[in-house]
Amino acid sequence: MHEISGARAVIETLRQEHVKFVFGMPGGANLPIYDALLDSDIRHILARHEQSAAHMADAFGRVSGRAGVCMGTSGPGATNLVTGIATAYADSSPVVAITGQVPKAMTGRNAFQETDVIGVMTPITKYSIQPLSATEIPSGIKRAFYIATSGRPGPVLVDIPKDVQQEVRDIPFPESVEVKGYTPYVEVDPLAVERAAEMLVKAEKPLIMGGGGIRISNAYEPFQAVSELLMAPVITTLQGKGSFPEGHPLCLGPIGMHGRAESNKLVSECDLLMAVGVRFSDRSTGTFSEFCKQAKIIHIDADPSEFNKNKQVDLYIRGDANQVLTKVYKALVRRISRRSDSNPWLARIAQVREEMKSIPAYTDYDSELSGPKIVRKMREVLPPQTILTTGVGRHQMWCEIHWRVLKPRTWITSTGLGTMGFGLPAAIGAKVAKPEVPVVDFDGDGSFMMTDNSLGTAVDEKIPIVSIIINDRSLGMVEQWQRLMYNRRFSGVKFGKSCDFVKLAEAYGAFAKRVTTLEEFGKALKEGISLDSPAVIDVPVSSEEDVFPFMPPGKSIKETVVGPPKEMAIF
Amino acid sequence: MALKILSVLVENKPGTLFRVTHMIRLMRLNIEGLTCGVTNGGDRSRITMTVNGDDATLDFLAKQLSKVIDVYEAQTYSPEEVTARELALVKLNLSSVSHLDDKRLQGARIVETSDRSITVEVIGTPSEIDRFIHRFDSSHILELARTGTTAVPKG
Repeated sequence: MHEISGARAVIETLRQEHVKFVFGMPGGANLPIYDALLDSDIRHILARHEQSAAHMADAFGRVSGRAGVCMGTSGPGATNLVTGIATAYADSSPVVAITGQVPKAMTGRNAFQETDVIGVMTPITKYSIQPLSATEIPSGIKRAFYIATSGRPGPVLVDIPKDVQQEVRDIPFPESVEVKGYTPYVEVDPLAVERAAEMLVKAEKPLIMGGGGIRISNAYEPFQAVSELLMAPVITTLQGKGSFPEGHPLCLGPIGMHGRAESNKLVSECDLLMAVGVRFSDRSTGTFSEFCKQAKIIHIDADPSEFNKNKQVDLYIRGDANQVLTKVYKALVRRISRRSDSNPWLARIAQVREEMKSIPAYTDYDSELSGPKIVRKMREVLPPQTILTTGVGRHQMWCEIHWRVLKPRTWITSTGLGTMGFGLPAAIGAKVAKPEVPVVDFDGDGSFMMTDNSLGTAVDEKIPIVSIIINDRSLGMVEQWQRLMYNRRFSGVKFGKSCDFVKLAEAYGAFAKRVTTLEEFGKALKEGISLDSPAVIDVPVSSEEDVFPFMPPGKSIKETVVGPPKEMAIF
Repeated sequence: MALKILSVLVENKPGTLFRVTHMIRLMRLNIEGLTCGVTNGGDRSRITMTVNGDDATLDFLAKQLSKVIDVYEAQTYSPEEVTARELALVKLNLSSVSHLDDKRLQGARIVETSDRSITVEVIGTPSEIDRFIHRFDSSHILELARTGTTAVPKG
């Protein structure tokens, strides 16, 4: 062994963890790490704000399934990471955040750029680690990667005091690490699997619900196999959108506040719901007690604290979704062969689908450039493997309802925390993880402006992503709520003239286009994805066209409103 | 709402108590008593907390705590389900105690005396300690320190 610095140990451990990219910003307290980075093959992608660095790492994690790495200095560098880390935590995304910290001797003295970042981030991280000697760095970072990616993934913070980075020692690099008190994987209970199979076989009106857990455990295949064997239709959460191919005849689409009308309706008609990798969030279910109360519920999840948390269930199975579903599939095959595609339940599903085709929200709005029309046009233009990221707001909800996710890991959106500003940096992280496919950020003007300086990163680092800005000069989702629930009293939602997104994009050196017709939009998008530089497409739209269906907050899923207020039609 | 005992077995290392108590704060519960001591040869600690809360909140809390890395197990008990003990040190104004075999000192052990005070140690269930303290006029109690309840499940 030869002696190296703690900072070199950081980089060497990242290399051993097969890290090829880090997203971040340097500063006083992480200078030694940045210096060591220069001598490695790891590519550093310079963010313009640490929040964006965290979103990039988060999206990288969601697309690749490996932990994304972001870095920031102490104090403001670390606190700027907070929103991005909280976003990753809320959506169970694997991220390792490495922050510099003031030297140990300065701790607690209100040193320059000192923040107790572990104190700040404990509630929003899966774990945090602070090596107090250079010799603890490799094992600490290895544990961070193991914890971030195993079981139910999440962000892990590694906070390294500057003197620890500078300390030169004979540093051991362990092959593997152990985390006491942490058991991310358990044997799947075989009796529970048999019971689930019995319940599924007996059900006359089964429905299957997929959440983010399907993506996390790569359970796409067994999930689809179970559904097809039973001929059980599939609904998803917003995070689980795309856990089942959305063009598939058995796919009904997302449920929730802005879910598909047919999904929201049919979830109250099934007699068995098997929910996999979901957490029954209020935005998915509406009033917990009213949700699916006529049915028996089976809940499959890696995290046992989710069982009976929001929704009481009849049977739960702890385990990795892929493993559990594979076992459930085998247990089903022993009992039944593929079910027929004609039965009263499927007939009912077809009937509801037909009924819903004529609801106002699906028949669309008058304007040339309405949200739903833009989203459908986008699906026509973009190849199936395109990764779509979004901001948060009406544009995101239009995607929830009208965008069809056709391939695994191509739908990247902030659902749990609902973080505006996620779309553009997430697109950059996604493109870095998968450069061979087109990556499009479908954004709103309000969301885009929160992190639009990431265009600088995209241009300088030559990361060709396309941002589409649904530009209504308003915080449209809030405006919608104020219109529907606050008697059109618009408070703090209207933007003025600023800014001109075409000029902004050009100032950054990106391709930019403003479109006024659907045809122009399609052409601009085709051009955008063919470029090897970032592109911005500004799509001015009306702020008056609300998103429907809409399950008002505090209401049950049965009270979903399917059309604009004039009709206010409830199912 | 009822008094409950929350027993949490954790890794004995810096920051663990913070991770545990932050969950209690999240659920807006007050910690009425807290003991923490090393167990199992030094690498684990048992945190025992007395909190006032309903069963649903406490169950939720125990599940969330079980998920915290560094926590081996978290259990909630009602007071009847555990053997619970607490220790109190009571410093009394010497003038309030007429003689050392004062009946009110029954069950306590004298651990220190000075020319103006006498300090006694009482060990018992939380209610026994309450009863002991109530034997004295509060103006005669110069100082009082209670450890909070520590407990192990019965049987």
